[in-house]
Amino acid sequence: MPLAHPSGPLAGYRVLDFADEKGQLCARLLAELGADVIKVEPPREGDPTRQNGPFYRGEAGPDTSLYWWAMNAGKRSVTCELRLEPGRELLRRLVEQSDIVIETNPPGEAAALGLDYESLSRANPGVVVVSITNFGQTGPYKDWRATDIVGVAMGGHMYLNGDPERGPVRTTAPQAYAQANVQAAVGAMTALYARGVNDGAGQHVDVSMQEAVANAMDNAQATWDILNINLSGPGLRRNNRGMYGTRYLYEAKDGWVTCLQIGGLLGPANGPIIDWLAETGEANGFETPEWREKLAAVVDLTADELAKVEETLAEFCRTRPKLELVAEAQRRGAGWAPVFSPREIVESEQLAAREYWVRVQHDDLGESFVYPGAPFKLRETPWAQRGRAPRLGEHNQQVYGELLGLDDTELRRLRMRMVI
Amino acid sequence: MTKKLKLPFEGLRVADFAWVGVGPTVSKYLADHGAEVIRVESGTYPEALRRVGPFVNDEPGVDNSGYYANFNSSKLGMSVNLKHPRGTELVKRLVAKCDVVTESFTPGTMARFGLDYESLRDVRPDVLMISMPLYGQTGPWASYSGYGHVLQAAAGYNHLTGWPDGPPIGTGIAYTDFLVPHLAATALIAALDYRRRTGKGQYIDFGQFEAAVHGLGTAVLDWTVNGHEQTRMANRDPEAAPHGCYRCQDGRYMVLACFTEKEWEGFRAALGRPDWCDLERMRRKWSRLENQKEIDRHLQAWLDDHTVDPARPRPVDPDGPDLPPIQQFTTEGVVAHFQSFGVPAGVVQSPEAMHQDPQLAHRGHYWKLQHPVMGERAYDGPAFRLSKTPGRLSKAAPCLGEDNEYVYCELLGLEEEEFIELLADGAFE
Repeated sequence: MPLAHPSGPLAGYRVLDFADEKGQLCARLLAELGADVIKVEPPREGDPTRQNGPFYRGEAGPDTSLYWWAMNAGKRSVTCELRLEPGRELLRRLVEQSDIVIETNPPGEAAALGLDYESLSRANPGVVVVSITNFGQTGPYKDWRATDIVGVAMGGHMYLNGDPERGPVRTTAPQAYAQANVQAAVGAMTALYARGVNDGAGQHVDVSMQEAVANAMDNAQATWDILNINLSGPGLRRNNRGMYGTRYLYEAKDGWVTCLQIGGLLGPANGPIIDWLAETGEANGFETPEWREKLAAVVDLTADELAKVEETLAEFCRTRPKLELVAEAQRRGAGWAPVFSPREIVESEQLAAREYWVRVQHDDLGESFVYPGAPFKLRETPWAQRGRAPRLGEHNQQVYGELLGLDDTELRRLRMRMVI
Repeated sequence: MTKKLKLPFEGLRVADFAWVGVGPTVSKYLADHGAEVIRVESGTYPEALRRVGPFVNDEPGVDNSGYYANFNSSKLGMSVNLKHPRGTELVKRLVAKCDVVTESFTPGTMARFGLDYESLRDVRPDVLMISMPLYGQTGPWASYSGYGHVLQAAAGYNHLTGWPDGPPIGTGIAYTDFLVPHLAATALIAALDYRRRTGKGQYIDFGQFEAAVHGLGTAVLDWTVNGHEQTRMANRDPEAAPHGCYRCQDGRYMVLACFTEKEWEGFRAALGRPDWCDLERMRRKWSRLENQKEIDRHLQAWLDDHTVDPARPRPVDPDGPDLPPIQQFTTEGVVAHFQSFGVPAGVVQSPEAMHQDPQLAHRGHYWKLQHPVMGERAYDGPAFRLSKTPGRLSKAAPCLGEDNEYVYCELLGLEEEEFIELLADGAFE
């Protein structure tokens, strides 16, 4: 089944995807922008991430990994044994017809598979090779092993998350991987654009997961550089210059709500919230001009005063549903938001109004499922979802036959020699 | 001899109306890779980050914020008063000379100043414009305000960060501000490449919420396919044991993960093959996953014995039993020890440790740039190196309106007299 998507800005480009968790989302984003993305997998067992949970109905199998579905939707799949010379020959012929190669081998290990920039650029001088590794291609930690938690720890992000009592915490949905993927996508696009303005010269893009995470430290990097203060995980509060400042999370009647930015009870933009509390008779005395002035300045509060302020807002939120709180706060100009679970995100009225969700057919299961939709709406060259993730080697015939012109006899021979 | 290659975005000009975290990070990619990016700012309502610290010497000032500086390297700064009668006209003259326009205001703001896509296309038919508010241009939440601190809550990151028995604390930062710009930049550069080939500009409606959902891994499909709601599990992972964060003797933390049998074997060897590792319930991964608390207890005890705080060496007890000395590691040392056995491990690095990290130093991640007010400061560079046309941070962040003379006189061709008149009339405030 061809995965037509001629309308994206990258239509006409081809991408070969050899990536693990650090690069599959990157390649998927390019597919949804119109590129023909071919996932190249080892024959027999297939890509190792096919074993990543969770699984459809909880049943492990080569085509039931929801991780595989999420990260590889809309790609084609071919099998190719790169440890055999005929496999590397197939790779060279594919690279001749490709624009971008994405690989995530540890530094120095790509060469044995013919996936290093030198070998690939010999086959196609215009190819852009994106290598995504834990710490980069060179340097003292280049051979260190990392999974997501090591990435968020060594990249400085995890130190900023957590609780003063319980220590640092990782976001359960892997963010070091997410950061490596999306920043590698920018690198791939930058190199592709550079090729266009430099007479077709390809190049090697060396992406470090650690550096990608380092770019997600908010103002903590500058705060150390300028003030020699380490920000750290603040729990329910915000961390301001190393002090655990304003509380921003409150429990609502049916969940949690974030109340800090542009109007909580504390800080310069709190006016509309105090008005609101006063109107419902729940301002607890804070509606006087003296208190308003004091709350806007924040720093002069004693611990007892701070506790009273927070208890007032906590009481107010506790009796009201979170979406009601958010709608009214927003109407009054305060930028509150609800804490949403995955279910609530899927049920969000905003995303429904934006026609965000897409339904993806899984013809092999006779079912269709809801997937996240356009992360960006391009008016002239729209984003498009291109169907479910491929089964192992599903497009061998299509790619090796139509693209490389191999006939059935040649394909059979390659299959018997365990090359594909 | 090959001719010198151009930087990727050399020759492109960008009018950057965006502010706070997301928009400036997108245009920073373009600036750090050769584009002329002009921050279009108001002196009357300075960009929010100019008003938030860290400030040098703790002195608030629009040209003194490290927060603003870090996301605005390599850019020029101009100021304009859009409420001045000639404000919109001047900006349109600038856009006529630009390839890209970026903005992140609440929907409708640009249109109020006559600067919506349709109006800008009239003065520059092939302009590429991206709008990047929190919730997109349409829908019941389109006018909702906020920052990454609260968007991370709506987008699921609070729900998925914290302890299972505790509140959804979220990350300690405005997280989505540092995730979604990379998706916006990917789309923007793809559209730029399309424009390069076809001559066609376009409009991109980017909603930060919608991009942020793509960072949730399998959480959405687990709900829509299986009806299972993922939730925060502190430092555990459904597929690895041990997997966690552990305290060392100096009070700092390290992390460690064993997904594969090979990593578990390395872990056992790194600990010196203690007996508990041979227990029947430690043989298989599924069983180790059920006994993580026990593994964590053993590992923490081992770290208590085998790590040391260099500032407070442990006293030697002269009357103690004559046992062979235990090898003791610093926090960095114990991580290197596990790594030498092939076990994924790392220090939970503080901002200070990041600045001393030898790997980041080797990569040149932090660029030291001289700023006229702030002095020499560290700026983050991109996470990727292009082998032939690498990015470079060409200058420190601009002061407010620093390049007004260049923009108004050189670029827009205003005579000096007119420039001074407009200046006196408050057109740049």
